[in-house]
Amino acid sequence: MRASVYVHFPWCLAKCPYCDFVSYAEERDNIDHAGYADAVLAELAARAALFEDREIASVFFGGGTPSLWEPRELGRVLAGIRATARTAADVEVTVECNPTSLDRDRAQALVDVGVGRVSIGTQSLRTDQLTYLGRLHDPAGARRAIEGALACVPRVSTDLIFGLPDQSPEDARDQAAALADLGLAHLSCYQLTIEPGTRFGELAKRGRLPLADDGAVAESFLAIDEALGARGLTHYEISNYARPGEEARHNLGYWRGEEYVGLGCAAYGYSRGARYRNPILPQKYVQGAAAATEESREPLAPLALLRERIMLGLRLATGFDLDDAGRDLGIAPWTGERTKTAAQLEARGRLVREGGRLRIPPGAWLFTDDTAARLF
Amino acid sequence: MTEQSKIRNFSIIAHIDHGKSTLADRILEVTGALTQRESREQFLDKMDIERERGITIKAQNVRLKYTAKNGELYQLNLIDTPGHVDFNYEVSRSLSACEGAILVVDSTQGVEAQTLANVYLALDQGLEILPVLNKVDLPSSDVDGTKEQIEQVIGLDCSEAIPCSGKTGVGVPDILEQIVKKVPHPRGKADAQLRALIFDSWYDSYRGAMIMIRVVDGTLKKGDKIRFMATKNDFEVTEMGSFQPFAVPLDEIGPGEVGFVAANIKSVHDTQVGDTVTHASVAPQKGPHHLGPTTEMLPGFKEVKPMVFAGIFPTDSAEYPALRDALEKLHMNDAAFSFEPDSSEALGFGFRCGFLGLLHMEIIQERLEREHNLDLITTAPSVVYNVYKTDGTMLRVENPAKLPSPQWIDRIEEPIVKMSIHVPAEYVGAVLALCQEKRGQQIDLKYAAADRVIITYELPFGEVLFDFHDKLKSVSRGYASMDYEVTGYRADSLVKVDILVNGEPLDALSIIVHKEKSQPRGRSLAEKLKEFVPQQQYEVAIQAAIGGKIIARETVRALRKDVTAKCYGGDISRKRKLLEKQKEGKKRMKQVGNVEIPQKAFLAILKVD
Repeated sequence: MRASVYVHFPWCLAKCPYCDFVSYAEERDNIDHAGYADAVLAELAARAALFEDREIASVFFGGGTPSLWEPRELGRVLAGIRATARTAADVEVTVECNPTSLDRDRAQALVDVGVGRVSIGTQSLRTDQLTYLGRLHDPAGARRAIEGALACVPRVSTDLIFGLPDQSPEDARDQAAALADLGLAHLSCYQLTIEPGTRFGELAKRGRLPLADDGAVAESFLAIDEALGARGLTHYEISNYARPGEEARHNLGYWRGEEYVGLGCAAYGYSRGARYRNPILPQKYVQGAAAATEESREPLAPLALLRERIMLGLRLATGFDLDDAGRDLGIAPWTGERTKTAAQLEARGRLVREGGRLRIPPGAWLFTDDTAARLF
Repeated sequence: MTEQSKIRNFSIIAHIDHGKSTLADRILEVTGALTQRESREQFLDKMDIERERGITIKAQNVRLKYTAKNGELYQLNLIDTPGHVDFNYEVSRSLSACEGAILVVDSTQGVEAQTLANVYLALDQGLEILPVLNKVDLPSSDVDGTKEQIEQVIGLDCSEAIPCSGKTGVGVPDILEQIVKKVPHPRGKADAQLRALIFDSWYDSYRGAMIMIRVVDGTLKKGDKIRFMATKNDFEVTEMGSFQPFAVPLDEIGPGEVGFVAANIKSVHDTQVGDTVTHASVAPQKGPHHLGPTTEMLPGFKEVKPMVFAGIFPTDSAEYPALRDALEKLHMNDAAFSFEPDSSEALGFGFRCGFLGLLHMEIIQERLEREHNLDLITTAPSVVYNVYKTDGTMLRVENPAKLPSPQWIDRIEEPIVKMSIHVPAEYVGAVLALCQEKRGQQIDLKYAAADRVIITYELPFGEVLFDFHDKLKSVSRGYASMDYEVTGYRADSLVKVDILVNGEPLDALSIIVHKEKSQPRGRSLAEKLKEFVPQQQYEVAIQAAIGGKIIARETVRALRKDVTAKCYGGDISRKRKLLEKQKEGKKRMKQVGNVEIPQKAFLAILKVD
């Protein structure tokens, strides 16, 4: 069975106001690079049983800013994973990078320890927008990081955030196009989401955050789709575009409901019918790593897992096969209610059903949550 | 059986919060009926809701033994009365079972509208009224001022009015002495045919419907066959007793006495308050006390009819059977409450329920929600309209959705109440303005004291239901008190306002209003609904209309997107739960045409404001 590994690195140089991942602002020199790697390796050893009968198709270093991590230490962890788990011959190894901690040398160092793919947090190519988003880099820095990575890393992706206040659909489209024109084969374009518990979330709660008009965000989504489609990048998931074959295999694993072993502070894992979360405080994580101490654990019933398959599978352009999902999970998926709802959604152009396979037609992608919830 | 000269039947009348229940508790304590330990606070208010609201809903009645200062032992029957305008008729029946009444006036507040209404009821029954001035333990107590006010406003002699405190017990022994001295004893005919007044009834799950009676003439014994004269039903008495305050069985209830009776009565609807109990004609002669049926009912009987109607719907249609069961249970215990199945396009299956008034409605609603754990939507309360059709027939309409089309209507008559409002002089202007705004006609305005005014108005009952009480409280900063009774019907230009969503009417939101108010009311309903209708994939038009004519319009813009941007490993559980919530929300949506309306929209709008 295919599975993947996610390693979380919980530090950044600064905390972005929209980010709801666990990360702590820290100077590079204040981070115990080796100690953290030791802890992850200790947890890996404790979780070794999760790798039995599994083939690891992808390893993803996320954060936080894992590009801050000494490549040597990151490499030690990667080597440990390779030693513990059976990895696929073409295993995808990705590291999330920030332009401020990625240059040509750093990119090369990552490649040297076995990294084959980087995902760079560009977010915007406009100074005012980068300031609003609390980013430390400027547009030129982003371009430099991308060009540096393209020069030595086999696969490079970057993130763009759209749907900023007062942003026109044309501006969003032009930035996506400009990034594609740099020669990237993969792009993630996210509409800005205000999450609770973030600085933006707090401001929004008090009505003090200027927000984009929903209509403009929807227009931007469609404009980006059109511009990237014209450049040969396929819109394969709601927020992701790739040249054929360049899709993020790691993320495809999530959307297909495959298992992922989470390692590191605050990492989530999903394995053997349960989702767990590691301790959120780095110190607590490091202390408990050898025993794989967890912050929380959620057993997942077949219905919950089926709902996740629906929610995630519908994010993909190709959709998913509900019959297969039901078979995997040992649950009959076509209840009377779901069958009726699917037919109604189809009649409204929100869903395409081909046998057991369900997908959302491109025109209805903007309403994916509604469609998925109805099919729960 | 106690000799009539040693019996005193009395009740306590007061405005809400003037301390009736506390005083009753003290009386129980002083006579030794209840030890302090037993005396949970306010023993006489049995139900939680009553205690919370400080309102007595069902009359509870106690027989007390009291040895007076003259050394004689007396039987005192304290007959409790419900304290709200909705239960006016019940109050009058309870009072007619008495010869005297203690009038409790809060010496820190003075006379209120309700005090007056109850005093008039008591005077109508020819009762001896003993004024007492309560709460003298409070620093703001003004005994002399209150006495003066009672004398001026009600015309009662207050020279012997007793200052007392239900809280400390001061004055309570004096009150008991005055009851013995001043309240006349019953003067029933012991050798006449049985006549007993039903002044309360309730349902007991073992004994069936129970009645509380006051025997006027004759004697009732266990095993007697009895007849209820208004409902013309015969029963056999299986059990009798009195509350002292715990139930004590009795074999007979003689003239002037009060007690409860069980007689295998199936439903409280067979036991109408105000009805007369006599012996059944076909009964075998059981003894000299059985003289056959009387032909003369006790005066004052009225059939109690619901005045206010509202639809009650379960928010979850699966709870319909549970709601029906709960309504049946309440109905068994409450003769004044009616219900029948109803259905609404917007709210599904539910019941149309009839109540005596708004308070009665709120009490039932709360009991359904609290005691039966139901989640309910209640439609705006409506009065009963007399609709005269062009074909000469008359239709009673208690559901605005059922009003015939305007072309079939000749005229609509609405119920009118006589409203009396007590208010400090400085708020008179505001109260008059409110009454005018509510289409009132002034009947009277007089000064009760230098700074207190009694305003009497005729007002449409429908206007009173809508938001009159809240507005009255707000324009008078809470100082005004009100009391009303329905006096008749009057024609006016009334129209039905419908609320349409993308052209589909929401029947549950239809209202009948005066033509001049139709536009603002329609607009405010549409605006309010707009707040709660979530964006849909298309534009939604919310309109208020009279017949085919649109009088207000609001638009809910189309939803442009509903999609999660990011969903990776760490987010999956949280996002799934969000969508599960979204799905739950959709379940509680009502589909009206192509528009989904959350139930909370109905809840918010139907909350009377």
